Amino acid sequence: MALTRRSYWALAVGSLIFRLILICFSDDLNLGSRPEVATPVTSLRRLAEGYWLKNSSMSPYSGSMYHGSPLLLPVLGPLTIKRVEGLPSHLFCSSIFIIIDFITAMLIRATGQKLISTNHQSLQRLNLSCVQETTGCTNVGDLASLIFLWNPFTLITCVGSSTSPIDNLMVVLAIYGACSGLPSLAAFGWVVATHLSLYPAILVIPVILLLGYGPDVPPSKLFLLGKSDESGSDYPSDKTSSKQRSKDGSPIYLFSWRPALCFILWSLIWSSYIFFLSFISLKEFGGLSEMMKKTHGFILNVEDLSPNIGVFWYFFAEVFEFFRSFFLIVFHINILFMLVPLVIRLRHRPCFLAFVYIAIMSMLKSYPSVGDSALYLGLLGLFANELAEMRFSFFLLCGYFGISLLSPVMHNLWIWRGTGNANFYFATGIAYASLQTVLIVESVSTILKHDRMLRNKLTA
Amino acid sequence: MARPCILFLLLLFLTFSSPSCASTVHNNNWAVLVCTSRFWFNYRHMANTLSLYRTVKRLGIPDERIILMLADDMACNARNSYPAQVFNNENHMLNLYGDNVEVDYRGYEVTVENFLRVLTGRHETAVPRSKRLLSDEGSHILLYMTGHGGDEFLKFQDNEELQSHDLADVVKQMKEKNRFKELLIMVDTCQAVTLFSQLQSPGVLAIGSSKKGENSYSHHLDSDIGVSVVDRFTYYTLAFFEKLDMYSNASLSSLFNSYDPHLLMSTASYREDLYERPLSQVPVTNFFGSVMKTVHTDSAYTGFSMEPEIHVSLVNENIEDGRRVLQTKTTQTQETKHNATESCPFHAWLKVLQDKLDNENADKLVVYGLGSMIILLVISSWFSV
Repeated sequence: MALTRRSYWALAVGSLIFRLILICFSDDLNLGSRPEVATPVTSLRRLAEGYWLKNSSMSPYSGSMYHGSPLLLPVLGPLTIKRVEGLPSHLFCSSIFIIIDFITAMLIRATGQKLISTNHQSLQRLNLSCVQETTGCTNVGDLASLIFLWNPFTLITCVGSSTSPIDNLMVVLAIYGACSGLPSLAAFGWVVATHLSLYPAILVIPVILLLGYGPDVPPSKLFLLGKSDESGSDYPSDKTSSKQRSKDGSPIYLFSWRPALCFILWSLIWSSYIFFLSFISLKEFGGLSEMMKKTHGFILNVEDLSPNIGVFWYFFAEVFEFFRSFFLIVFHINILFMLVPLVIRLRHRPCFLAFVYIAIMSMLKSYPSVGDSALYLGLLGLFANELAEMRFSFFLLCGYFGISLLSPVMHNLWIWRGTGNANFYFATGIAYASLQTVLIVESVSTILKHDRMLRNKLTA
Repeated sequence: MARPCILFLLLLFLTFSSPSCASTVHNNNWAVLVCTSRFWFNYRHMANTLSLYRTVKRLGIPDERIILMLADDMACNARNSYPAQVFNNENHMLNLYGDNVEVDYRGYEVTVENFLRVLTGRHETAVPRSKRLLSDEGSHILLYMTGHGGDEFLKFQDNEELQSHDLADVVKQMKEKNRFKELLIMVDTCQAVTLFSQLQSPGVLAIGSSKKGENSYSHHLDSDIGVSVVDRFTYYTLAFFEKLDMYSNASLSSLFNSYDPHLLMSTASYREDLYERPLSQVPVTNFFGSVMKTVHTDSAYTGFSMEPEIHVSLVNENIEDGRRVLQTKTTQTQETKHNATESCPFHAWLKVLQDKLDNENADKLVVYGLGSMIILLVISSWFSV
C-alpha cells in the first residue's frame, strides 16, 4: 500500500482531530476509572491527588494514592486543576497528550525511515534487491506511525486520564535516538522511561546494540556467504553502522564502542540530574529512599491488588504471606530470563529485539494497561515487510477486538452488577495474555523464517 | 518503698476519676433481643421483638451487634394470610419482616442453654462469631425478653423455663468477666418484675411490664390475621421511640415515666438501686441506639509531613476518659533529615543548599531544572548529528 504524502498527512491530522472530538465526550466515556486504562501507577486522578497533597505540605506519596515520579507533579499537576466552564475536565492534560502522541508518531516514522534505508543498503550489498520486489516495499515508517495514531488503544490512552503517553514517548525516543546514533537522546529516553515505570530498564540491551551495530540487518553469516561488491563504494552514510568485510572471514560486525560509551556516560549524567531534581522535590518528605520505596518498590512489591488486565493480581490476592516474596521473584524473573536467549538469537536485529522486549514487558509487568499494548502494536508496523508472512494474523486481530469488548463487560458484571465473579474478568485477562504470547512467538518465528528465506535465496 | 508509692498514686488516680466509671469508657452498644414463645397464637411476642429490633437498628446499632433470638415460625406459618409479613399494628402499615432481618438463633435454637451461653460467652468452639455476644468492658447492653412468664420464671418455647436466680447468676458472671459496663434489662411478660428480683450486680438497670401478681396484656386484636399483634408495654415503648431519631437526647427517666398504668392495665416498674447514674441524665440512645462521642484530631495522614506553620496542640490528653490523641510525626522527620545528610562533603554542601531552599523555591527549581534538561537534550542531540 503506497501512501502519498498528502494522504499520509491527511490521515495523521485526521487522527488528531478525532482525538479532539473524543475529548469532548471524555466525561461520558469515563475512561479514567476503567482498570484497563488507568493503573495505580499511571492514573491521572491519582496524580491530581498527589499534587494536592504536595501543596498541602504533605508527602505526595502519603495515603498510598500516587505512585509516579515526583517530577511529573509540577508539570501535570497544575493542568489537572485548571478547569474551564462547560468544557470537560482534564482538557489541558489531554491536549498535551495529543501533542505527545503526535511527536511519538513522528519519531516512529523517522525510525521507520532509518530502518528502510539500512535494509535497502544491506539487501543491495547482498545482491538481494529482488527480495524487496517480492515481499513488498511498504514505507514502514508511514505505516507504523499511522497504525500508532489510529490504534483504538492509543486513542483510549490519549483520552483516558492516564500518563502512559509520556512513558510511550520516552521509549520511542530511546529507540529513535539509538537508531539515529544520537547517544544523548537515547540515554535521555531510556533514563526517563526507567524512572517513570521501572520495566524499560531492560531496553538497555537493544539500545546499546542499536548504537553499536546500527539498525536491523540480515544475519552476519549471510554477508560471509554472499558475494558483496569489492568496490566498497556504498558504505552507509550514517556513521554508526560499521559493517566491514574483513579479509580473513572473521565476524562482519565491528561493534563500535564509541557510541555505546557515550550512551553510558550520558545515561549517568541524565540519571544523576533526575535524582538531583527528585531529591530537591522531596527533600522534606523522606528524599530519594522514600521515592524509591513508593514508586519502584510499589511496582516490584505489587502492593495494590485491584484488578487490571495483567496476570499478577489474581495470583497475589490468594498467595500466602510466607511465599509472597518467592513468587514475586519468580514473576519478575519470568521477564528477565527471556532476555538473554532473545539477544543471542536476534542480535543482528536490535530494533526488532526492542519490539519483542517491549511486548514481553507489556504483558508481564505488574500493572499493565492498554497504553503499553498501544506502544508495541505501533512498533509492530515497523516490521511489516519482514512480518508479511506471519501466521494467525487474522486470529490475533479478532482476538484483540474480542478482548477489548469482553473485558469491560466482564468487569461490569463482576463489580457493578454482582452477577459475575473475579474468574470472569480474569478469564479475559488470561485470554489477553495468551494472545500476546501468540503474537510474540509468531512474530519471532516469522522473522527467523524471513532470515532463513534470505539465506536460501543467497545459496540458491 | 516502691509499693506504698504506687498505692498512693493509685488512690490519687481513683479519687480524681469521675464517679461513674473507674477506668473504662463507653464505646459500643449491644442488643440481645429474645422472644421465648413459639406457635401461632404467640404472634404478638414475635412482633414485639421484631419491632424493638427495628427500632434499635433505626437508631444506629448494626446487625453485627444485635443478637436476635426468635422462634421465627410466624412469617411463613401456614396460618399467616400475609405470607412473609409480620405486622405489629392492625393498620398493617409496617412490615417488620423485611429485607434485612438477621435472626441469629431461630426455631429450636432458642433454648435456655443457648441464652445463657450467649450472655456468658461460654460457647463451643465451632459457634460462629455472628452468634456470639462479643461485648467488652466498655459495652452498654440492652437485654429485651418477651414471652410468657410468671412468678420468678420465664417460659422458653413451652418446654423449659428460665428462673430469676439463673438470670441473676448469669449477670453476676458477666460482671465478673467484665462483659458489660451497663446493662438494661427490659422484660415484657406477666409478673415481669419478679424475674429480676434476685439481681445484685452493679451497673444493671431493669424494667418490667407488670408487678408480682399482675398480668401483662396484649394491646389489640387484628381481625385480619386473627391473633393479637402487639403487647401493651411494647406498644407504648414503641410509641415513645417513634418520635425520636438518632440525635435526640430524651432521657431514660422520660421513657420510664411515659408508661401510664391505666393504659398499660398493669404497673410498669423498674429497679434502679444497682445503677449509679441518675436516670434523668442517661439518654435513651445509650442503650437503644448507637451514638458515640467523637474526638477531633488534627493529625493528618501518618507519614512524612512538614512542620505546619501554625502551631497546633499536638497531644490532647483527657484524663477522665483515659484516651490519647495521635501525635504528628514531625519529630521523626527531623531526625531522619539529620541522619541522611551527614555522610560526605557532597551531602554537607547539599545540606547548605537545602537550608537555603524552602518549599516553593524547590518547586520552581524543579520546573527550571526540567526545562534546562530539555534544552540540554536538544543541544546535545543537535551537536551529535
